[in-house]
Amino acid sequence: MPTLVGVFDQPAPVADVARRLRGRGFDKLEIYSPAAFPELDDALDEKPSRVRIFTLIGGLLGVTTGYAVTIWMSLDWPIVIGGKPFASVAPYTIIGFELTILFGGLATLLGLLVVGRLPYGSFGKTDKGYSPRFSSEEIGLVVECPERDVAEIDALLRAHHAREVSLVEA
Amino acid sequence: MAPPPPAMPVAEAIAPPAAARDSKINRDLLSVMGRPSLGYFALLGTALLFMHIAAGVWIYQVYEGLGIAGYTHPIFWGVYIVTFVFWVGIAHAGTLISAILYLFRAKWRNAINRSAEAMTVFAVLTAAQFLGIHVGRMWKSYFILPYPNQRGLWVNFKSPLMWDTFAISTYATISIVFFYIGLIPDLAIARDRATGWRKLLYTALALGWQGTSRQWKSHTRSVLHLSGLATPLVLSVHSVVSWDFAMSIVPGWHATIFAPYFVAGAIFSGFAMVLTVMIPLRRIYGLEEYITDYHFDNMARFLLLTSLIVGYSYAMEYFVAWYSGVEFEKTAFWLRAFGPYWFSTWTMIICNTVFPQLFWFRRLRTHIPTVFVVSTFINIGMWFERYVIIITGLSREYNPAVWGLYTPSVPELLILAGSFGFFATLFLIFIKIFPVIAISEVKELAIHEKAHGGAH
Repeated sequence: MPTLVGVFDQPAPVADVARRLRGRGFDKLEIYSPAAFPELDDALDEKPSRVRIFTLIGGLLGVTTGYAVTIWMSLDWPIVIGGKPFASVAPYTIIGFELTILFGGLATLLGLLVVGRLPYGSFGKTDKGYSPRFSSEEIGLVVECPERDVAEIDALLRAHHAREVSLVEA
Repeated sequence: MAPPPPAMPVAEAIAPPAAARDSKINRDLLSVMGRPSLGYFALLGTALLFMHIAAGVWIYQVYEGLGIAGYTHPIFWGVYIVTFVFWVGIAHAGTLISAILYLFRAKWRNAINRSAEAMTVFAVLTAAQFLGIHVGRMWKSYFILPYPNQRGLWVNFKSPLMWDTFAISTYATISIVFFYIGLIPDLAIARDRATGWRKLLYTALALGWQGTSRQWKSHTRSVLHLSGLATPLVLSVHSVVSWDFAMSIVPGWHATIFAPYFVAGAIFSGFAMVLTVMIPLRRIYGLEEYITDYHFDNMARFLLLTSLIVGYSYAMEYFVAWYSGVEFEKTAFWLRAFGPYWFSTWTMIICNTVFPQLFWFRRLRTHIPTVFVVSTFINIGMWFERYVIIITGLSREYNPAVWGLYTPSVPELLILAGSFGFFATLFLIFIKIFPVIAISEVKELAIHEKAHGGAH
């Protein structure tokens, strides 16, 4: 399928044109951007990122592990101190807290890898529409479309301040 | 509007986007990783020398035993623990800058966050070694981990030393994760431009990053969540370190002020170290356009703020000792200032509370030599702060019959010097392998500025 690459200077027009294209049924879109722009966050997918679920589960798992490990271990090897309960929850809160952060952080990393689909592609290869210009200061919008729409999309990209538009695949 | 392309078969129109000149930001910031100069090798050589001397001394200590350290009754926490606390403190600036300032949307952080995060990782690694060096039989350090053993007994989670193990290892792990996640987009930038072994390294580490919208969306979200997690973490780590002392009954240690006092001190020393390292770095690699006087001004303000908190804590310690009416507390603090360790105490007070007052003046905050000298003195003062707390605390406990004096031995001082060598070695290798400034974050601002006519 023909693939068009539009090269842009600014993120806002990219978001506009991506929304328009999606509205007209062109779903095979990709944006390559050198930096994180809030404008582009929802341009292709409005749903909130699922990384949050990973962080939440990791954190909850961490706090549970922290308390469970400390309480179980102090019951498994009881040290008698003046008739006090074997498990003293107050100091164990510190372990619970630290493990919340540890598990939460590692789960967030996992979330980034799973949700962001990293590692991506095969080693040393980049997508056909990708160009080192998109790790410089320009933003790329790649559209796959049927041959009959090429001219129209080309015009649409240019109308949205695309600096240049090229065809990378027929 | 440009006219539509002429009617022709699309196959004939195929051409990839034309190659364009690389952006100035990429060229400037990637050039830091270029061929090292002779001066670089001289610095690296010196750092490696100190590191290897320390390694030799450590091997000697393993052979000879902890007797070669200056420990004498009743002081069995010496330079090693002082230096451990010092390096953990240094490690606080990076996460503060990348997590807390991120949540506060302080945009000036993006010129310094990468190197500060690297310093955090390296400082934690340096600090962690001192726990092993201090206990002597480093190879038995794993005893502190809760692992199932033959005797079926477990570690004591009521001990602050256990809390410390969890806090420090969590901090080390999370700082490395944070550092790496922030690096991924920049590694892709380097990958697109590198050749040879670097290309291979960056290709592997960048995980195929191309800055797609899905990648950025989950990246931004992950950084946000990690910042949220790391913010309480950074405050907890030095609190836990302070409880190593505050949970005891040693006069001068057993105080509720310790946690906030240590956290403020840690941020103070961490920022001072960031300045001490960044000022020469900026000068040598000509990064004035990215790390501006505005950044140094802001960091100097941070130093002033934390210096005031630290100074207030010093004063409050004395006030509480007096107000408590407890003889041991009063004596401990009297001897701190006028006892055998008066020199360390006054060095700490002057370096940490007097010199930073210069930063009330904007002209001095942006006068780079002043900032450099003051931040260096703060590093010295903060090392002495830990020395004062630990050594004077232990040397003058309750019973005068068991008072004692401690002088650091030569092997301890060599290992201290070696820790700076280790830190410097890691940092010097870092600046040649990874981008020292978060390139993609700088671009975010630069591209937005272009849209608004560059008026910022």
